[in-house]
Amino acid sequence: MVGALGKVFRLASRDYLHEWQMSGCFVLALAAVLGPMLVLFGLKFGIVGAMVEQLIEDPHNREIRPVGSGHYDHAWLEGVRAQPQVVFLVPRTRSIAATIELGSQSAMRIVPAELIASGRGDPLLPAADDLVAGLTRVVVSQSAAEKLGIEAGDTVDGSLARRFRGHQERVHLPLTVAAVAPARAFPRDGAFVSVALLDALEDFRDGRAVPALGWEGDPADSERSYPGFRLYARSIYDVADLRDAFAKLGVDVQTQAAEIELVRRMERNLTAIYWAIAVIGLVGFSLSLGASLWANIDRKRKELSVLRLVGFRTGDIVWFPMVQALFTALLGWALAVAIYQAAAWVINDMMAAQLDAGQQVCRLLPMHYGVALGLACTAAVVASGLAGLRSARVEPSEGLREL
Amino acid sequence: MSTEAATEPQSRQTLIYHLRDVVKTREAEGVAFRLRVPNLQIAVGEKIALIGESGCGKSTLLDMLVFILQPSATAAFRFRPVPEREAEDVDTYWKQGKLNELGELRKRHIGYVMQTGGLLPYLTVHDNMNLCRSVLGLPRDGTVEHLAEELGIAPQLDKLPDALSTGERQRVAIGRALAHRPSIVIADEPTASLDPYSAEKIMSLFIQLVDEFNTTVILASHAWRHVKELGLRRLDHQTSHSDGGKLTETVVSG
Repeated sequence: MVGALGKVFRLASRDYLHEWQMSGCFVLALAAVLGPMLVLFGLKFGIVGAMVEQLIEDPHNREIRPVGSGHYDHAWLEGVRAQPQVVFLVPRTRSIAATIELGSQSAMRIVPAELIASGRGDPLLPAADDLVAGLTRVVVSQSAAEKLGIEAGDTVDGSLARRFRGHQERVHLPLTVAAVAPARAFPRDGAFVSVALLDALEDFRDGRAVPALGWEGDPADSERSYPGFRLYARSIYDVADLRDAFAKLGVDVQTQAAEIELVRRMERNLTAIYWAIAVIGLVGFSLSLGASLWANIDRKRKELSVLRLVGFRTGDIVWFPMVQALFTALLGWALAVAIYQAAAWVINDMMAAQLDAGQQVCRLLPMHYGVALGLACTAAVVASGLAGLRSARVEPSEGLREL
Repeated sequence: MSTEAATEPQSRQTLIYHLRDVVKTREAEGVAFRLRVPNLQIAVGEKIALIGESGCGKSTLLDMLVFILQPSATAAFRFRPVPEREAEDVDTYWKQGKLNELGELRKRHIGYVMQTGGLLPYLTVHDNMNLCRSVLGLPRDGTVEHLAEELGIAPQLDKLPDALSTGERQRVAIGRALAHRPSIVIADEPTASLDPYSAEKIMSLFIQLVDEFNTTVILASHAWRHVKELGLRRLDHQTSHSDGGKLTETVVSG
């Protein structure tokens, strides 16, 4: 039995090679349908994938900012932080007070920097524990780091001034650069600092005493309230819910919810369109493959009859077209993958300028190639199996008399 | 010709074919064709000529003799390719649908020469001639080369059938039918597509080889004069039309 199958395999291969022009046509016909389908799927997967990835990865899309200024005390903020959809929340001090002048020894210049309230788990900063803890550790923005010529581990001099009881006063504060923030985190000159430091700077500017830093002034207020906060939702899908919750509390917030919804709707629409095209393409692909294999077996009836005449069994004969169909499926798939690779390279190359490094508009996972190969082989085996059975059922005498 | 009279002279010989009341009916567009074989006995080593115009049922009979066409009705259909063994009951195989067993008998014991080559275009002349041997798993013992030499196609062994003339292809077909040393060779007008000169030459070559291989042969031809010098036994047949021309019946006996 195995011997007969081996012989059928050898004969089918030799026939396939002998008729290389015809075989080539079948392979081309298959690749012509499968190749564009792969490109289409690659584009859909790449574009939607990149969009969703950008949405999910970019923390700016998860940010919720209060509009205008309010009075938020610690108790209120704790209540908001307790909600499961909130992953990060720090209060902001008045923005006019949240500045500092930075100076370093390597650059003979003073850089005024905006201060951003930060803390453990800030989505804009690299994931590391307590980068900005305490009153002396800061993360400077890339722009500021470049101007000052500093890097992580350096010390910078922070200074600020106030008019207090008729005198101009200036204090200096040595700050340790814990890290340099990625460029995306903050585009201008700035530094991420702890809320405690911001509180201290605001107190100093307001003429109050900061005992921890040895700055003198009036006694501090007992209860502090903040005009704003920085809040990040757990995921982009929680943004709309949180926005609605704030609206109920009477807090007007600014979010990317509209953009998120737009992209999500686009993703749904693109997916629907893609599936419509994919189903049509798949049906066309199966029909094209099936038709050519079917026609091929009809063409070979006489030769198959000769094989039966010399003693091959019906069961062996069915393998003959099936082996050839599998060759067609395999080669057609390989050609389609080559077409796809070339097209994807051109498309990605064209779009490279608009994309981040490593991002691709046209992209497939290894799994997708496997699925395509599986589909091609299944269609080939089914079509050739049916056609082969049909030809096997014909009485050999009928096949022989055909010219 | 009565059954007894026909059996008498061959009773001491082994019958490779023994058919009794085998009928094949075919119907197409209201016109029926019937082939009837009341009694056919072919002894081992016999050389049989089946002569008749095309359409008289020669091919139908040959197809039944190589088990690729099932008779419509049968009283007895026995095939005994090996005299030392019991006869095979072909009729029972057909009725039980044992096509693979029939295929096995055909593969092992029958060589078949078709009207037009029937060579596989993707195999060389050598591999075409060796096809039956290779299917049977027979070793390479020089038979193919010897046959090619005898048939005058030795220089063509490595070519594909495309590169051969019609006459050469028929020589290859004859070689293929004989290469596995079958008990019987059946040839369906093997020279019909050739010019008379080549036809005569190939036909005598064929009979010469059949003699050398000591093989039984059944040869269908449309003209007796092509084969009468070759010492073949001619099978009788009568064709009659009846039922207002709607039924054509051919009766073969011998």
